[in-house]
Amino acid sequence: MDPKINPLLRPFSATDIRKAILDMAYSGGTVHIACAFSIVELLAVLYRKHLRVAADNPDHPERDYMVLSKGHGVMAQYACLHHLGWLPDADLRDYFKDGTRLKGLADAHVPGVEVTSGSLGHGLSVGVGLALAAQRRSTEQKCYALVGDGELNEGAVWEAALFAAQFCLDNLIVIIDKNGFQAMGSTDEVIALGDIAAKFAAFGFDVIEVDGHDEAAIDHGFRVLGARTDGRPKAMVARTVKGKGVSFMEHNNLWHYTRLSPEIYERAVGEVIAV
Amino acid sequence: MRAAFSDALVAAAEADKRVLLLTGDHGYALFDAFRRECPEQYINCGIAEQNMVGVAAGLAKAGFRPLVYGLAAFVPIRVLEQIKIDVCYEGLPVGFIGDGAGVVYSHLGASHQSTEDIAALRPLPGISIYSPADRHELTACMRHMLQGQAPAYLRMGKADMGDVHAAPLDGQNITAPLLLGEAGGPLLLVATGSGTRIAQHVVAMLGQGDILSVPCIKPFDPAPLKAAALGRQLVAVIEEHSVVGGLGSLVAETLVGTYTGDFLRIGMGERFSERCGSHAYLLSEHGLAADAVAARLRGLLAGAPA
Repeated sequence: MDPKINPLLRPFSATDIRKAILDMAYSGGTVHIACAFSIVELLAVLYRKHLRVAADNPDHPERDYMVLSKGHGVMAQYACLHHLGWLPDADLRDYFKDGTRLKGLADAHVPGVEVTSGSLGHGLSVGVGLALAAQRRSTEQKCYALVGDGELNEGAVWEAALFAAQFCLDNLIVIIDKNGFQAMGSTDEVIALGDIAAKFAAFGFDVIEVDGHDEAAIDHGFRVLGARTDGRPKAMVARTVKGKGVSFMEHNNLWHYTRLSPEIYERAVGEVIAV
Repeated sequence: MRAAFSDALVAAAEADKRVLLLTGDHGYALFDAFRRECPEQYINCGIAEQNMVGVAAGLAKAGFRPLVYGLAAFVPIRVLEQIKIDVCYEGLPVGFIGDGAGVVYSHLGASHQSTEDIAALRPLPGISIYSPADRHELTACMRHMLQGQAPAYLRMGKADMGDVHAAPLDGQNITAPLLLGEAGGPLLLVATGSGTRIAQHVVAMLGQGDILSVPCIKPFDPAPLKAAALGRQLVAVIEEHSVVGGLGSLVAETLVGTYTGDFLRIGMGERFSERCGSHAYLLSEHGLAADAVAARLRGLLAGAPA
């Protein structure tokens, strides 16, 4: 089966993804909820409307690549892969149970997960290699690489950015999840990033900025970037909210680390499904 | 050895268009032939080794056969985590070539010397580690590496120490230590890379001793070593690498429980190179000069305490 967009034609919403994240985090007793919430709309739009994949083969050699370089948001990706049919219900239901395969950070042994990340600053370089491979073969494949803004502290990200421009990888779309937080505080407090869009532009990227929770804007942004083939790599700087979707998690870095109590879980689910 | 390396690279790239040579802006004259014969397969990644290894991983995932070249001080040491996570965890067929391993860059100091690379890589699951002693071993190692479908590291040390084998190793199993000369006598020297040539000088000075050359540190067939060590008075390991974690450790791990004679590891100890000079000078500073090694072994064979 050749790769195509949303091959199973399963509709799923950002709300479905957030609900799945809460269920996983609650049953697994785990953290990183807020990091997953900030990328929900970005991934939902990508998996529904842009990524060409083969339903029967996550490793299809002509697939588009979705590289989750900020591996801490992996629960959002697991939920999408579940909708693609690559992860069965049991994988999500039994999250973090002894002997299960879905880990707390992105792991390339999971079908549909391209890179092992969470050690930050790795994924974009692997994505650059995938984009270079497609360029050398003159295929139509695109490589989407999602990096966190905190991850931009890593020097290897900028090595990759220099390389992508030098090698004219216009099939590479870097998505920056600009939620303004990293583990120990706001990005401004820790290592201020300045104007991220201007930085990528200065590195030779074709850059757009979008509201990272506005699905129509994200969709439009990917269409605009995908249509341009001027040799420049692409960057979408997505303004996002860490913890988006649950009022008491939004902009609250505690939800990088905090686990859900039964009461908090019920409140959070209530807010998410009320949307 | 470097001519053999260049020849093997060109032959590999001509035989398989998936072979790509990635360099971190190193290998100026070394790659003249490659750039002339296979320019499309040559990628200078700039002075950015972390990205280079990630790019190699991406290329390998997509079906290419990247060979990543750098100085051993940078590839693998600077990029150990990329090798571990991006390449080894997925078992991708990326070959790493660390040039100038040991104290080859004898005048440049600690930043360019690498006496910990074998020790750093040995615990990584699935990676092969080659450490050829001469052009014949290098050619065999390159062939073995390219026939494999797994991560590999080829350690290139001092290139002009001369041949240790009289002829090419066609058809020989290099994952087992190679016995130089006849077996027998009280002394067995186990050596790799430049250590093998040093061992030959030592044997000539002592007038005795057998040598096992180890071109492949991992995988490693232990049987020939165990058999060769049986009944010896002294087994000594010689390597231009730390005595911790390299061949010395491998031999100790292999022989523990079966070999009961004296055992000596000769290599770099718990210190960096304080001074600079020729390669021969630095070897002697670290106790690896053949005459010093011979004197040490002579004393041990005569019953002096280790």
